[in-house]
Amino acid sequence: MKQTKLNLLLLAVLLTATAVWALTPERYLHVRVTNPSTHELVRVNLPLSLAEKVVPAINEGQLRDGKVQIGDFKADNVNIKMILDAVKTAPDGEFVTVEEKDNNVRVAKEHGQLVVHVIDKQGKENVDVTIPWEVAQALTANTDKDQINVEAAIKALESVGDMTLVTVTGHDENVRIWIDSNSSDK
Amino acid sequence: MIFLAKLGVGVLGTAFVAGAALSSEGFIAVRVHEKSPDGKNINLFVPAAAVPVALRFVPRQHLAQASENVRPYLPIIDAAIPALEQAPDGVLVEVIDNDDHVLISKRGGSLVVDVNDRDDVVHVSVPLRAAQSAVHEIAAANGPM
Repeated sequence: MKQTKLNLLLLAVLLTATAVWALTPERYLHVRVTNPSTHELVRVNLPLSLAEKVVPAINEGQLRDGKVQIGDFKADNVNIKMILDAVKTAPDGEFVTVEEKDNNVRVAKEHGQLVVHVIDKQGKENVDVTIPWEVAQALTANTDKDQINVEAAIKALESVGDMTLVTVTGHDENVRIWIDSNSSDK
Repeated sequence: MIFLAKLGVGVLGTAFVAGAALSSEGFIAVRVHEKSPDGKNINLFVPAAAVPVALRFVPRQHLAQASENVRPYLPIIDAAIPALEQAPDGVLVEVIDNDDHVLISKRGGSLVVDVNDRDDVVHVSVPLRAAQSAVHEIAAANGPM
C-alpha cells in the first residue's frame, strides 16, 4: 500500500513536471528596424531555443564554440569578471559619464541592470542598452580575454523577463531589440 | 475473375502505400505569378519525399560543387532544422521596402517564403525534414563524409 502511494506520488510529480515543461512558453528575440522617412521595415523574430542550438554549431570567422572573438577589445591587465562582480554588489548609481563634443556616454546600474546611454550629437542618434546582470556575467563566463560568450548569454536571456535590450533612435532609422514570449512583434 | 480481383486489390494497395510514402514528408509547393499582362502563372506541387530519392539518380559529378559548398554548413543545418521544427509557427523575418515585401515564416513543419515585388508574386513552401534529407543527399555526392 505504501509502495503504491509512493508510486502514485512519483507519477504525479513526473506528470506535473512534464506539464510545466510543456507549458513553458518559447522565448523570442525580436529585432525591428524602421525608417520613418522611407517607411522601410525589417523585423526578425528569433526563437531563443533555435539560437541556443545553432550558435554552438557555428564555427566560422570570429564565432567559434559559441564565443565571439572581439578583435579590438582591449582587455589587457583588466579582469572584466572582477569588475562585473564588483559592480554587481555595488549599489545602484552612475558609474561613468563622458561628455564630449561629439557624444555623451553614461553607464549606470539601475534596478540590477547595466544601463548604457549614448547620445551621438553629430549623427543625432540616441542609443540605449539595458543588460540584465545575469546576461552581462554570462557574456564573460568561461572566456579568454577578447572573447564574449554568446551561447551563455542566450541561455541567460531565456530566464529574464520581457524587456527591451536595445533602442536606437536616429534621424534615418529606429532600431529596437527586445525579448518576450510572443512569436510576432505586433 | 477472382484472380483479377486479387490483382486489382494488389495494385490499388501498392498505389495507396506508395502514395502514403510519397506524401509522408509533405509537399514542396512553388507558385509564381508574373504581374505583367502576358505574365505566366506557374504552380508546382511535388511530394517532398521524392526529392532526396530523385537526387540519388543525379550523376554525382553534377552535385560535386554543391556538395563541396554545403558540407561545411551541415552541422549548422543539422542543429537548425530540428530546432526550427520544434519551434512554434510564426514569422521569422519580414522585410518591407518601397517595392518589395519578403516574408519568411515557419508554418506546420515547413519553411515558407513569400515574395511580392514589382514584377512577381512568389510563394515557396518546403517541408523542413525533406530539406534536411535533400541537403544530406547533396553533401554525400562527394563520397563519404
